[in-house]
Formats: sequence, structure tokens, C-alpha cells
Amino acid sequence: MITSRIHHAALSALLIAGLAACGNDDTGNATNPLLIAAKAAGGTVAQMRNEKAEPAAPKRTPEQMAAEALRVNPAPLVMVGFESLGRTQVMAMTGQNGAMRTFMAPSEEALILRDGMVVGTRGLGNDLSVAEPGTEALIRAGRPGSAKRVMRYYSGDGLERPLSFDCTVGPGPKAGVVVESCEGHGTSFQNSYMAQGGHLPVSRQWLGPKLGYVTIQTLRP
Amino acid sequence: MRAHSLLTRRLLASTVPVALLLGLGAQPAHTDPLIGNVLNSYGLPGGVDTPTAEMLPDGTLGGTVSYTDRARRHNVVFQLHPRLTTALRYSRVEGINDHNNLGHIWDRSFDLRFQFIDEQGWRPAVSVGLQDFLGTGVYSGEYIVATKTITPNIRASIGIGWGTLAGKPRTIDTEDNGGKPNVDEWFSGSARPFGSITWQVNDKLSLVAEYSHDRYLARYLRPNGTIDDVRQGDDEPDSKFNFGAYYTFNPSYQVGLYTLGGDTFGAQFSFALNPRNAPFPSGLEKGPAPVRPRPAPSADPDGWSGAWSADPTAQPAIQTALGKALKDEGQILESMALSSNRAEVRIRNTRYIQQAEAVGRTARLMTRALPPSVETLVITSNSEGMATSSVVLRRSDVERLENTEASRIAEAAQLVDAEPRPDGLVTTPDLFPRFRWKLAPYLELGVFDPQDPLRYELGAELKASYEIMPGLILSGTVRQRALGTMKQRGPGIPGQRGEHYTPEEYVSNPDYEYFNGVPRVRSDTRMYTGSDSPTIPELTLAWYAQPTRAVYTRVTVGLLERAYGGVSGEVLWKPANSPLAFGAEVNRVRKRDFEDVFGFRDYEVTTGHVSAYYEFAEGFTAQLDVGKYLAGDKGATFTLTREFANGWRVGAYATKTDLSDEEFGEGSFDKGITISIPVSWATGTPSRDRAGTTLRSLSRDGGAKVHVNGRLYDKVRDAQSVKLYQGWGSFWR
Repeated sequence: MITSRIHHAALSALLIAGLAACGNDDTGNATNPLLIAAKAAGGTVAQMRNEKAEPAAPKRTPEQMAAEALRVNPAPLVMVGFESLGRTQVMAMTGQNGAMRTFMAPSEEALILRDGMVVGTRGLGNDLSVAEPGTEALIRAGRPGSAKRVMRYYSGDGLERPLSFDCTVGPGPKAGVVVESCEGHGTSFQNSYMAQGGHLPVSRQWLGPKLGYVTIQTLRP
Repeated sequence: MRAHSLLTRRLLASTVPVALLLGLGAQPAHTDPLIGNVLNSYGLPGGVDTPTAEMLPDGTLGGTVSYTDRARRHNVVFQLHPRLTTALRYSRVEGINDHNNLGHIWDRSFDLRFQFIDEQGWRPAVSVGLQDFLGTGVYSGEYIVATKTITPNIRASIGIGWGTLAGKPRTIDTEDNGGKPNVDEWFSGSARPFGSITWQVNDKLSLVAEYSHDRYLARYLRPNGTIDDVRQGDDEPDSKFNFGAYYTFNPSYQVGLYTLGGDTFGAQFSFALNPRNAPFPSGLEKGPAPVRPRPAPSADPDGWSGAWSADPTAQPAIQTALGKALKDEGQILESMALSSNRAEVRIRNTRYIQQAEAVGRTARLMTRALPPSVETLVITSNSEGMATSSVVLRRSDVERLENTEASRIAEAAQLVDAEPRPDGLVTTPDLFPRFRWKLAPYLELGVFDPQDPLRYELGAELKASYEIMPGLILSGTVRQRALGTMKQRGPGIPGQRGEHYTPEEYVSNPDYEYFNGVPRVRSDTRMYTGSDSPTIPELTLAWYAQPTRAVYTRVTVGLLERAYGGVSGEVLWKPANSPLAFGAEVNRVRKRDFEDVFGFRDYEVTTGHVSAYYEFAEGFTAQLDVGKYLAGDKGATFTLTREFANGWRVGAYATKTDLSDEEFGEGSFDKGITISIPVSWATGTPSRDRAGTTLRSLSRDGGAKVHVNGRLYDKVRDAQSVKLYQGWGSFWR
């Protein structure tokens, strides 16, 4: 009797555990607080696993990716390397508003550029909302000088929070490279740009504390 | 420069957003409250047992379990305001016997700490605190404490304590119902000093030494007039010096080992979550479709002339295309009005916590779908068919300000009350009726029962809703228990503490459903638990409507909650730009049967309230309800809620009615805490799901309300000024 009850209970437990939520309603449900803890922990574990698994994944070389993208996609293209994510991908232009272009990866993560200068990112979890580089004119002209750079971020509480940096622009170690050195809030970063006639076809720019640097190369302007 | 641990660094982030973003050991400005990084065994920043003047970063919600053979303390801490720390504690105190005769008691207590002087130069930070101040309890005491940063890695605190902190426990009257502040005892009796030193060895490890006068005694006044001293644990601590080591192994988690007087050893685990510190602050939702600027007038003369609007096929085609694009963004295009220069869309947001994000994405999609002559974009937010606000934008502003600082588009946008039934509004075909269902496991927990501190029930839950038209919804929930320790049980037997009616006894005599002349409207809640057959917690038909601008109504009929069924009607006045709102609610309900899911018992009552709501700065919302409660008692409920822009909600409420303390019973009046956290905060994936719970002091019959789902205030606010602008930073996300 008792055994059968235990069996019954165990069986029910299995059934319940196997009962992953299903249905067509994915909105506005009240959930048990334990679920949120489990989800948070699960996310961390998955992230750690991904970090470990990443290097093992077979990869095409950037050259192969670029060649294929140029063949199949007629839109303007950039090759983007997210250094902190250990990921290089081709992104295609999905919209243009004046000089501002939005490039997207197939996963619909977005990088917003103004003729090569990073304006913002979307869909990366620690996104840069908008960058306001006061140094932009100096960089494009390859002229030394200093100016302010404001970087705005989405913070966890739904607000937009600005970080302000003092930047100086000067020639880099190699000819044709302009370096922008910024300092503020106890940190510093260096952006480097290949400036050609006011355009920035190749650059390495800092997105933010979590995302770190990104390298951008124009494949098709 | 104090080398902050990872925990502190993360915690610091809220007062210093920059530190969060950079993950650096940035310093708080001198005007900020002093932030602690070790939680003591009472769950507040401190030494081992003693308090310090330190605070947690604003909005932090944390928990601590601290275990010795003298006590096991479960603490929940919330930094209500940058200078005010609150803690709720549920402790198992060893060595004390009560009517339950378990060799220990379970004791609830509540603390406050206020930092009224900041650390600056040679001046230390100074706080005043009340420990276990609602009624006289085992831990009742008060303190004033100063904390000073000596070197970057060493902080010292010194203070004076009263009550427990001075080793002079307050006398607990076993006859008292408790639950009310005993102001006349505060800071009374002799005071003794205490102090602690915290050495931050490195980012992860902190060592603490302290001097404490707590003798781990409790003092009781027995009904026969004698006063007993009872030891918590076997004997007093051997010395007044306590030592601890605390290790932060993950930014949000900390473990500690400590000794009290060298003979008692303890272990503790704590966590601290900061609403401003989400794992993915910007969310992981995909990038939005960008704005599509209009072509030059010469490139599209027909589009710019507005001549297209004469074509009857134009609007249906545009509405279909836009509806499809919005659906991908989790927005339902319920209806649309279109003329040659103005377009209004009415959307229901099913995905984003921030209504501003839904509005921002809709605005961009409108630039992609509408002919160039349309210049005015109106985005109206619908909730249950009620139009709660309209954001009016100029299309040229959307084009000009895309991906700029969010405040610029906020200045260019207008927020107005929505017209309930404007001319030319075309309902999107084929959306209704809409059937939704979900089958998922459920877990229910019961706490605060000394004889069974943690009860649970696990089972399957089917939820379904059938929306006949926007605002008219049939919805229900069926649950089937699989296993658990929750059992059906009657309420306590009067005069026999610790004894309860069996379910059979309880239903055998109708007189048992009254206690001191007060009907048992909530104290028999556990009669509704433990059923092995399917239960229907809710089955209702709800009708939402909007008779005129800024006025909303609801009528709900059916099984409103597990214990009551009937009719509930509500009306709310809440203009889109007003922080003030008024409402009224009337319910005619009958008590449901304990077993039969569709049956009722004899008790029937009309309850009702008039309510005033006010939204203050920094996300504080106050609500005052005055009216008649379930037991027929009359009184008022005051609720204060703090809501963060990312959807975190922490609130506290208290209800006092015309029942006397004796009629009410233990706790004297109803009070509780509610916590609600959006799931998207933890996972990064966009969703409007929430995880939440209510911790109420005790299930009593005074000041009890019917729990009706879908109250208007929460339905209406998301798209209105305070909440919309609070989350406006997500407009271009």
C-alpha cells in the first residue's frame, strides 16, 4: 500500500517534471519565484558551457565568409569581429537614414554605423544605445586635437545612462592610422581608424565595458 | 580607496551607475551613503552579529540564511531608499518552548536602519536602527552606530545598543497579541557599547572581529506573573568576542563562517540582487527594424500628394502588412485609423516590459509601412480593449532623431488621453475571438507554520482564456495536485494553542466558522488546500470598458478566487498624465465550498472600497483603500510600493479595521510584503512574465479582501506618463 503510494508519487513527479510548459499563451503569466532563480542559474550555466564549447566549433575563415557574403548579398556589407565574444561575422545593411546605416547579422543583432563610426549596437545584451563622439570631425580629417566623447548605455533599470570621456586624437604608429585615446570614469581605451578621404573603411573601436573592442572592415561600401 | 569585493562592486553600481558599466572599483561620491559588503547574521550589513552604519545599494533585495545551534535565521533585506534598510526575519530560536512544545520557537521580526550622517573626511557615517520593533520579541533592541573607513581595507564601527544588544532582553508578555510597535520601550533600559572591525583581505575575502553584549537570553512574563529568563541554546557565549570570515564566490553570493564567543560556530549564506544590475542590462531581444526615411517628393509624387487615401484598398493592405510586422514584435494591431496625413494604430503589447520599447518599435515600423504623406503618427496602447494613452509623434522627428539620446524624442513626443471611440477606426479582421491556453507545472509553497515550516504542493496547471472581443474575456484555471506536503486542516481551536480542528470537525458545527463573533473568512484558508481531485482556483467572465476618456470600468463574474465567488465591479479614473487616480470597487461574494469546486457555503457578504492612488518620484506608489472587508469589518489599507523602471516591484501594506486587537488575534492587524520580479530581468529574453510572492504576517480574518484578478490600476498604468517615461530609455532599443 505504502509502496504503491510512493510509486504513485514518484511517477507523478516524473510526469510533472516532464511537463515542460506548453500552450499558445506566452504572455503576462505570474510565475513562481523559484522559476526565476532556476532560469537565472540555467542561463549562467549555459553561458559557461558556451564559453567552453566555443573554441571547439569548426569555423570558416573570415575570407571564406566574406567571399560567400559578397556573392549572395547585394547590399553594403561589413565584416565585424567582436573581440570579447570571440566571434567574427559578416553583417549586411538593412536600413539607411542619412549617413547612418544599420547593419544586421542573420541573428538580427545590429551594429549602427555612421560612415564607419560606431553609433550603437542592438541585441547583444549589453548594448551601446548611442555614441556621441565629439572627436568625429578630427578623426575624419586626420587632424590632431581633443574633444569629448559621450557613450550612452541601456542600464538594467530601463534607463539610458551616459558615460563621458575626454579624448585626444593623433596619428598612430603606422601611416594612415588615426588613434583616438579616451579616458574617464577610471578607465581608458584607444580607438584606431584608417581614415581615407573622410571615410573610415577599417577600424577598431571600443563599444563598452562589457562588449570591449570590435573590429570593423568594410567589404562593400 | 577601499578595495571593494566583487559583491560590493556590483552592489555599488546602483549608486554609481558608472561602476556598474565599467566593472571597476570605482568609489562612491562622498555624498553617497556608506555601503557595506558583509551581511551579519541578522541579514543587514554589519559584523558577525552586531550592526554597522553601512547600507546596501539602493533597491537591493537580498536574503541570508544563518545557522548556529542557538538559532537559524532566515532574513530578507531590502534597501527601500538609499538611506533606509529594511529586513524581515523568520527565525528558529533554539532552547525556548511554547505551546507547540517543540524545544524551539519560530519567530518573525522586522528591522529598520536609517543612515542619517554620511562618511566625510574625518566624520564617520552614523546610523540609527530598530531591531525586531513590531511588538516585543526575542530580538528586540535599538542602536546608534558609527562606521569609519580607517584604511582602504579596514573599516571600524562603534555603537551603543539597548535591549538585546545590551544583553538586557525585553520582557515578552506571553498574553500579548504582538505586532504593534512598542514605542515606549525603544531606547529604554541600560545601554552597552558594541563594536566591530572588518578587514577586506582581497576582492573575495573579508575577516571580521567584533565585541558584542548579546547574551542570547529571552525574558518571558508568564500568565501567573513570574518572569523567566530562557537561554537560546545551551548556555551563554563564553566571551564577548566574535570572529567571522566571509567569502564572496560570485558577484551576488557570499558564504561565511563565524564563531560566537569561541564556543558556538555558525555558517551563513547570503545573496543580494540589484534591480539595476541585470545580467543583460539591455535585454537579448533582436535589433529593431530601422527607420525607413521617406523618398524625395519628386521620387514619389503620388505618395506625397495623399491621393492614395482615396483608394479603398489602400488601408486594408497597409493594415495587413503593418499588423504582420507588428506581430513579429509581439504587438497585436487591434485597430487602425488612416487618413492622408495621419495614422493611428492601437496596439496591445504582449512582449516588452517597457511600453516605451513597444512604442519605439511600432513607430519605426510605421515609417516603413505608411505612404510619405502621413506625417502624424499616433500610437495608442490598448489594454484589454481599453485605450490607455496615445503617444503622438511627428514622422519627421522619428526620422531625424533615430538612434539619438532618448530624451530628445521624449521632448518631441506628446502623451495624451486616448479617445475611446475615434472616427474612422477600423478593427483588424480575424483577431477575435482569440483562444489561449497553457499547460505547465505549478509549485505552491506555504511558510510561517511553526509545526511545519515549509509546506509545498506540486502539480499540473491548465490555464485557458477565450477572448470573445477585446475586453470581454472568459478565463479559467484548473489544477491537479501530484504530490506535496500541503494538507487540508481546520483553523486553530480557540483556547487550545497549537491544536487545530480536523476538516471533519470543522464542517460538523457551523459555530466553528465564527471566532469571537467574527466570521472566519481567511483563517480557514487551509481547508481549501490538499485536495487530491482537480480544483478550479479561478473561472471568470470579465468585461472591461471605457465609457469616456480616462475612465475605465470592469465587471467580473464567476469563481473569483479559491475561497470566494460572485460579482465584482470596479471603476477607475486615471488620466494619462496624472500621477493621481481614484477608484471604487464593490464585490458581492459568497464563500466557496471546501471540496465541491462549484459549490458554495452559506457565508455571503458585500465588500467595497474607494481608493486613491498617487505616483511619487523614484517609482514610489501609494494607495489608500477605505471600505468594508470580507468579515464585514470597516477600515482602511495603506500600501506603499516601490517600482523600478525595469519592472521590479517591492511593496508593503497594512490594514487596520474596526476589529479590536483581541478580535483580530495574534499580530493585532494585517500587514504584509509583496515582491514581484519580471522574468526577463534574469533571463534577458523579452517577456512580460513576472515572478512574485506575498509574505503576509498571518492569515487572519480582519482586514481581508477578495482577491480579484485584473484590477484596473495595474492594467492601465503601463502606458501612462509615470511608467512610460520611467522606461523611456528603451525607446530606441
